[in-house]
Amino acid sequence: MGAIARSGAVPTISEGPASGKHSGRVGDTLVRIRIERVSKRFATDRPDAPPVLGDFSLAVRENEFVVLLGRSGCGKTTLLNIIAGLERASTGEVRVDDAVVTRPGEGKGVVFQQGALFPWLTAAGNVDFAARSRGVAASERAALCGELLDLVGLSGAQDKYPFELSGGMQQRVAIARALALDPHILLMDEPFGALDELTRIEMQNELLRVWAARRKTVVFVTHSIWEALMLADRILVMAPRPGRIVLDRHVALARPRSRTDSALLQLYESIWASLQ
Amino acid sequence: MSSTRYPWRDWAYPLIVIGAVLACWQAAVMAGWLRPISFPPPSKLAATFREIVTEGYPEGIGLATHVTITLQRIVLGYSAALALAIPLGLVIGWKPTLDALTDPVIAFGRSVATLSLLPLTVVWFGTGEGAKIFLIGYGCFWVMISNVIAAIKNVDPVLVKAARTMDVSGAALFRRVALPAALPRIFAGARVALGVGFMVIVGAEMIGTIRGLGALIMEARTFYRTDITMVGMAVIGAIGFAMAMGLQRLEAVLMPWQGREARRAT
Repeated sequence: MGAIARSGAVPTISEGPASGKHSGRVGDTLVRIRIERVSKRFATDRPDAPPVLGDFSLAVRENEFVVLLGRSGCGKTTLLNIIAGLERASTGEVRVDDAVVTRPGEGKGVVFQQGALFPWLTAAGNVDFAARSRGVAASERAALCGELLDLVGLSGAQDKYPFELSGGMQQRVAIARALALDPHILLMDEPFGALDELTRIEMQNELLRVWAARRKTVVFVTHSIWEALMLADRILVMAPRPGRIVLDRHVALARPRSRTDSALLQLYESIWASLQ
Repeated sequence: MSSTRYPWRDWAYPLIVIGAVLACWQAAVMAGWLRPISFPPPSKLAATFREIVTEGYPEGIGLATHVTITLQRIVLGYSAALALAIPLGLVIGWKPTLDALTDPVIAFGRSVATLSLLPLTVVWFGTGEGAKIFLIGYGCFWVMISNVIAAIKNVDPVLVKAARTMDVSGAALFRRVALPAALPRIFAGARVALGVGFMVIVGAEMIGTIRGLGALIMEARTFYRTDITMVGMAVIGAIGFAMAMGLQRLEAVLMPWQGREARRAT
């Protein structure tokens, strides 16, 4: 786990779309995820239909919190699945820490929209499942699970089964479980999409708190503009068929952010415009 | 619908309904609306029950013997069916190719009405215990194997996806994810299969025996003892019900992670 401190190298103002042209030998150690000219076509697509993703390139820096924002069907979840190694790109490649992604696992933690907790395991059991899969010794696992559940604010619920937990609590367990993999990167696919508005805001704050404690490179998919504005270091707005970036903005505002901040409101407007 | 506020309703309501039905029935016979030979009244059934327990029917074969013999056949046929169907179903459900290959066979086997096999069974196994156990086993097997296959095939794909992100695949994926995820459906299948066993038993005991609850019912029919037929039916029903409840209890103990409601829904 390279724990390079977060440098102040992030530009404060918006940047154009990331360039896809580079050799892969560039010694830029700050880049964690490099997506190079990825396109994706499903076997069921008509041959003349535009691809789900077309010639998509992106570089994500170490510890950067990137939000992919767009309507349903713009290819953001597909992109996340390709980064996760759950789906294969039709052309192009994704590198995480300079290694080409060929399969899931290998230090890529994923949180799904519905939590995807194993219903037959308790909260602690779910976290333990991940720790055990990573090969953590049995003697250390209990302490690790306790620590992670503490971190996500679930100290009292370790013996509860998923059906006994609220949606928000289930997502907390899912986050703890992903962290138990000690991942380099954290991929989150609309993790709060199924929660009510109030729980959702709570969970956004929780995520920021956890992220402050355990810095990770995060790619977060959402279709909520406000969620993107509250969380992101960098917002990428995507448009569909072919899935592509139509807006790429850095948000260099300190957290927690206020919804009345004029810079945020301006950004909201330009994101909204880019989505039309 | 559970009634956590009034737990007594769970047992009191069925009792009230059964009691009301029996009372109406008794009244209808006494008023002359139902012929006692076709619908022996509950008072007569109680007397018949006592008769079968003490004197037996046919003479000398008591109810306890009928029950024991029938239970033996069901338990043997049922457990043999489960012992075959569970491992086979797990393998078939896990391997899509095997599933595609076996699907027509299983659809066919399940569609063959078990009792239509009766004549063939006599040719293969004679009229002894083997024939009866085979018929029960046959009926249970197809129901069980289709449920086990479906259980494994329909494991929530998002759970498999989640496990893959944790580097869990192959045999570990089967053991640590697919199997526990499929367990509720497998149990539901076991309950349905048990019901099938109780349906088949009456037919299976039509051949070459005067012992067993099915034989009791057939024998009584020959002599137009409708009262005995009804008592036999009721006893089979009660045993089947008790065993299904037992399975449900076992389920609750083995799978505390299923909410009470979820368990009822299966």
